[in-house]
Amino acid sequence: MTARDRMDVDPPYDYPLYKSTVFRAPKQPLLRVAPHPIETAGPVFPKSFAKESAADLTTWGKSAPLGEKMILAGRVTDEDGSPIRDSLIELWQCNASGRYAHPVDQHDAPLDPNFLGQGKVLTDGNGEYRFVTVKPGAYPWRNHPWAWRPAHIHLSLFGNAYAQRLITQLFFPGDPLLPIDPIFNSVPDEAARQRMVCTLDLEKGIEEVALGYRFDIVLRGPQATPMGA
Amino acid sequence: MTIRTPSQTIGPFFHVGLKWEGGEKVAFQSSGKSIVLTGRVYDGAGNAITDALIESWQADPEGKAPGAGSAASAPGYSRAATDGEGRYRIETLMPGVCSGANGEKYAPQIHVTIFARGLLKALRTRVLLAEAGSLGGDPLAKAAGPRVGTLIAKQDAKDASLWEWDVRMQGTDETAFLEI
Repeated sequence: MTARDRMDVDPPYDYPLYKSTVFRAPKQPLLRVAPHPIETAGPVFPKSFAKESAADLTTWGKSAPLGEKMILAGRVTDEDGSPIRDSLIELWQCNASGRYAHPVDQHDAPLDPNFLGQGKVLTDGNGEYRFVTVKPGAYPWRNHPWAWRPAHIHLSLFGNAYAQRLITQLFFPGDPLLPIDPIFNSVPDEAARQRMVCTLDLEKGIEEVALGYRFDIVLRGPQATPMGA
Repeated sequence: MTIRTPSQTIGPFFHVGLKWEGGEKVAFQSSGKSIVLTGRVYDGAGNAITDALIESWQADPEGKAPGAGSAASAPGYSRAATDGEGRYRIETLMPGVCSGANGEKYAPQIHVTIFARGLLKALRTRVLLAEAGSLGGDPLAKAAGPRVGTLIAKQDAKDASLWEWDVRMQGTDETAFLEI
């Protein structure tokens, strides 16, 4: 299998329904060049980079944050099914009211002094990961009239090779805002869009404490795009 | 074959989760020549992009891929957000010359990944740290053809450790971005 045989699941750069793309999407086609020798390698983070406490976003403050407590857990593999081991995942999100702990976010919803909305983990030897957090709220944005982002969690992954680097967003099943969100719908293929929707998995949760959601993540293979394939 | 997880934009609030203390300083296991790579990122209207995240990956001074290290971060890798003027700054060591599988020689170059609001997937490219006249054998320079100038960093006339490289998303001098 070559990189060319893979389905291109990613959104296009030029997607005018998401207005910020208009002046930022490159106009020229990407150059196809031979891979550089270090592209199949990638950064190796020390274990200390993601302390165990960084996997739990609910213990950061003096008391528990507001909102629906949830466990987010899953497995990271490449598209051939191989686990992505010992690899950094970073997570950020707004609070249960739909407000980010970020100075640029001026949405008139309350900040939660007990919720910062940032987490980090390294996957284990089987590619598994687990975060404890609260379900983020929806929030309005100015892309178009009546625009609201569906509840989502941002995830940043490194894989085990430079070419595998991915930043994506996780969405929740049954969210009525999904069909009208231009960012979610920038992914052209329906099955690929569903890859970004987590599934309710009660047994991943903690009984009488937290809901469980499963979110498996599939990265491309570590090989760089071959020339002329 | 399993369907990959698609890319989505980093959005405007990534600083919440992606800030690395000292992330602009690249760690290495070996020593070498200290350099600073800096520049500004512009959109198609000529405005500075003040909410981009720039990451870099490079060979060590011997031209090898950095592996695990004893530093607090990943050797060879950096992360820096652009500031209020759209400027990024990376403090690193001059990467060595790399050899390809067929013996081809790559001039010193740094892999760059750009994330920003309005980019539904990352932009990838490489910046060349060499004079245009010395790039004849470099496979990237050859492939970029007339657009190679957008990938060459300019060495400061007074401070030889300082390299300036701007990124333009659109326009006549749009940066050559790479498929990887």
